[in-house]
Amino acid sequence: MVQQKRILYEHLDVPNINTFDVYRQHDGYKRFEKAIAEYQPDDVSKMVMDSGLKGRGGAGFSTGLKWSFVPKDIEPRYLCCNADESEPGTFSNRYVLEKNPHLLIEGILICCYAMGIETTYVYIRGEFTLGKKMLDAALEEAYEQGYLGENIKDSGINVNIYSHPGAGAYICGEETGLIESLEGKRGQPRNKPPFPAVEGVFMKPTVVQNVETLCNLPFIVDKGVEWYTEMGPIYGDARFDPPKPDPNTGTKLYCISGDVNEPGVYELELGLTCSELIEVAGGLRGEEVKAVIPGGSSAPILTHYELDTRLDFTSLTLAKSMLGSGGIIVMNETRNIVDCLLNIMKFYAHESCGQCTPCRWGTPWVRDIVQRIADGEGRQEKITRPKFGIAEGGRWGDTGETEEIYEDLDLLESVANNIANVDTMTWNTICVFGIAVSWPAVSYMRKFRPEFEATIREGKLTTLSVEEATVPPEENYAFQQRIIPKEMSELG
Amino acid sequence: MAFIKLNDLEIEVEDGTNIVEAARQNGIEVPHYCYHPGLTRPANCRMCLIETYGTPPGAPPGTIAPDRQLATGCTTTVRTAPPERKYEEKFDAIIRTDSPRVVKAREDILEFLLVHHPLDCPVCDQAGECDLQDFSHRHGRDKSRYVEVKNVPPKKDLGPDVLLYSTRCIVCTRCVRFCQEVSGTGELGLINRGSHDEIDIPRSHEGNPIQVLDNKLAGNVVDICPVGALISKDFLFKSRPWFMDKEDSICTGCSVGCNITVEYKEDGVYRVKPRFHEDINQHWMCDDGRLGYHYVNRDDRLQLPLKKVDDEQTTTQWADAINTIKEKLGEVEAEDIVVIGSAQGTNEDNYVLQQFAHDVLNTTQLGLFGQLPGEEHKYPQFTIESDKNPNTAGARTILGSANGNVVLEGEDLWQKVASAKVVYLVSGVPDRKLQDEEKAALENVEFLIVQDVLPSEITELADVVLPGTTFAEKDGTFTNSTGWVQRIRKTVDPPGEAQVDWQITQQLAKQLGSEINYSFAGEISIAISENVQGYEEATHQNIGDAGVKLA
Repeated sequence: MVQQKRILYEHLDVPNINTFDVYRQHDGYKRFEKAIAEYQPDDVSKMVMDSGLKGRGGAGFSTGLKWSFVPKDIEPRYLCCNADESEPGTFSNRYVLEKNPHLLIEGILICCYAMGIETTYVYIRGEFTLGKKMLDAALEEAYEQGYLGENIKDSGINVNIYSHPGAGAYICGEETGLIESLEGKRGQPRNKPPFPAVEGVFMKPTVVQNVETLCNLPFIVDKGVEWYTEMGPIYGDARFDPPKPDPNTGTKLYCISGDVNEPGVYELELGLTCSELIEVAGGLRGEEVKAVIPGGSSAPILTHYELDTRLDFTSLTLAKSMLGSGGIIVMNETRNIVDCLLNIMKFYAHESCGQCTPCRWGTPWVRDIVQRIADGEGRQEKITRPKFGIAEGGRWGDTGETEEIYEDLDLLESVANNIANVDTMTWNTICVFGIAVSWPAVSYMRKFRPEFEATIREGKLTTLSVEEATVPPEENYAFQQRIIPKEMSELG
Repeated sequence: MAFIKLNDLEIEVEDGTNIVEAARQNGIEVPHYCYHPGLTRPANCRMCLIETYGTPPGAPPGTIAPDRQLATGCTTTVRTAPPERKYEEKFDAIIRTDSPRVVKAREDILEFLLVHHPLDCPVCDQAGECDLQDFSHRHGRDKSRYVEVKNVPPKKDLGPDVLLYSTRCIVCTRCVRFCQEVSGTGELGLINRGSHDEIDIPRSHEGNPIQVLDNKLAGNVVDICPVGALISKDFLFKSRPWFMDKEDSICTGCSVGCNITVEYKEDGVYRVKPRFHEDINQHWMCDDGRLGYHYVNRDDRLQLPLKKVDDEQTTTQWADAINTIKEKLGEVEAEDIVVIGSAQGTNEDNYVLQQFAHDVLNTTQLGLFGQLPGEEHKYPQFTIESDKNPNTAGARTILGSANGNVVLEGEDLWQKVASAKVVYLVSGVPDRKLQDEEKAALENVEFLIVQDVLPSEITELADVVLPGTTFAEKDGTFTNSTGWVQRIRKTVDPPGEAQVDWQITQQLAKQLGSEINYSFAGEISIAISENVQGYEEATHQNIGDAGVKLA
């Protein structure tokens, strides 16, 4: 049985850890003091780079690399903490904000010290009223205690933190949408490049980091890179010769919900498999696992055949899904996948910001198609189209055969793929919201096609048994095309 | 200059050029909606997707393959790369706009654009000049797969001249950006979210407008709307675009000299649209100019010469009117005659008039008449000038070009007029109100000849009225306030027996024995280039579409 590895959450349950005094008793701000006493800013950046810390917000981009893109000669630079945690199935940042806000402040201080930043904005999801209250109280205490403001503890460092509530838009969790919203504009993502590291808040260089990412910094500084890199696998990117290290180090706050006995946030080392995780969360509630959403509702779904997938950034990407925000939703045999998809599509159709064409009009279209199928009004007509599967040479591709498919399912797949393509992993939209819509839609439809077909055929929502509902592994596009990454130690 | 490979072409473009423009310069169409060269580039329509090439991660140097993601042509700019970063050792960028991926992406995006778009082209003003129509035809699918219910947002009245048919809107936000960036007034914005996005003006909870789209540049949003969503009330349901002829011309609303296209049919001018000129008006024009053409079509235009008989103006024949003038001119001394040119008239009109005064009447006393000054309006990227005449600078120079000529303006002029016996006033200024001193001076004149286009307070005082022509009915040139000489061109025929102004003057001169004999305006421009200092280059041939800037 895998044990939790509580680092960020170590003192989460200590009573009154949200107050400065209690936090201080538990090494609070000592790691920041260590950073300014023992390291130069560049040393801290290098430690973060060497630790292999990847952004915990969803994209999994290397934090150290992101920091290295920030031009050091442009003033002012900003840090923007993304606390707009709105991905369905994700609730880890919320605990930090509500229970241990000083940890976030310490993380921000270390980041500001490393990057020479004096102004930080914490963009908090509008619905987190308690979280904002707790953070604001903690900020006030930190100012009183001299850990924020001008010339912190006589070190010559100035850091000011402003908390800013969102107004309830999912898209403002996207880093550039967040920046636009913070600037007082309509929350619509910007085109990239330029990335926020070059032109962010008020068109100045900006580091945008998730709460969880920032909370990792005190521990990296305190316990060192070696300690940190011992947690989690370090893969090798075999496209390069010699293989390029691809670290998935550290712990992750997995938010496990759905059909498990003990849902909640679990802090675990990266690289556990899906099955192990379900065990950690008290085991499955029900008879069988039907499906698992591995990274918030925007991630492509995993079938019970894919439960051996390791839940880290690299493995899931190569399995044609994503770790995203680490919101894991487990579904048992009673769940209807069409209904699940409808639920998710309703959310995304409502949350599309409407800036770019494919998402603005494609997302509601996908929702309408799923709605029609779920209502039992899916069209009975079938069309013939080329069949994809295991083609010559054992690789996934056009088999040269044809297959019959319900027109609506073909339409659903095609419309979703036109927003963002699951096969090529590309998107036609400005931001990755397009992926959040289309990848689930296509993956649910393809991996649980029998259930969709039964629903259309029967003219009502029809739940099949797990075996019947899931396409066999040899017809599962993701299972067939997935690559299981090798760790550096295996590659030699 | 960047050297790029665009499809199979190997071309050179300026550093910083985006791919849409680079392709346009080389005759390749990259369809686009939200991109407008005069505005910022949000890349939200996703129509201009192109395929860029690069070296994939991990691949050996020199490998060239399409990048994984398609890029938007409007935001992808090309720059000269350092030698070690060039592709195939010479190209700064390799781009395809015709690959199967791009073709498919365009088709997909167009399908999305048409999901909620109504099929009302037969009653839509934009039909025929609609980018959505054109690109659907060239790049779209042949039929729609959309069977769900369409959004039907309401039709809205945004301002004095602008209507919004929200159903047709594709939310490219060109109009919103125009109001933010060019006019700086910010009346337009997006309301709601996602597929319910709508363009609107600020409204109260009851839906009453708080601010309407009434800035003086508002009409431009209609021009830049790539579909038929924003519609000019002035042009609504008047004509299909393909029935109108078009001619390049210059706006007469003020001394900026905006480049325009006059769209007309046999029965009159239908609308005026701005035309690009980098140094003068860029892509824009103001609503005063845009809606100022209406006087050309008015029913009460002067069509026949008028002559005062027993204090009553009656219509007469050209020959009679000119004979009357000839007789009168023969009775007075040269110093009792004042010839007044018009700042609304072309350089050619004024040149012939000046020749007539100097060479035939032997008078050096000339005046300059024009529209009264109005308000100046300054916008972040556009200025409307207070001088409401298109050719003040040109008329002033040209009237005064002959030896000894004195061009009087304002008070000096009216003092002179008050003491003159015969005044030949070329006006052509529509709806010109006379001020008291002007009226008093003109009433004092023994014999007043007025050449004008509309009946007005001035023509009422005249002893002979000669029907002239507007800018839409003649060829010529205007000189704007910054010294650009630009061409206007004849569109419609003059009403009735009205004649081009310089031809009227030439007829008078001939009757008085002169040998002035020009057969077309271009000939006069050659005479101007030979005789007027600064206008050496300003022949019609040189001016062309771009204009000539005076030295």
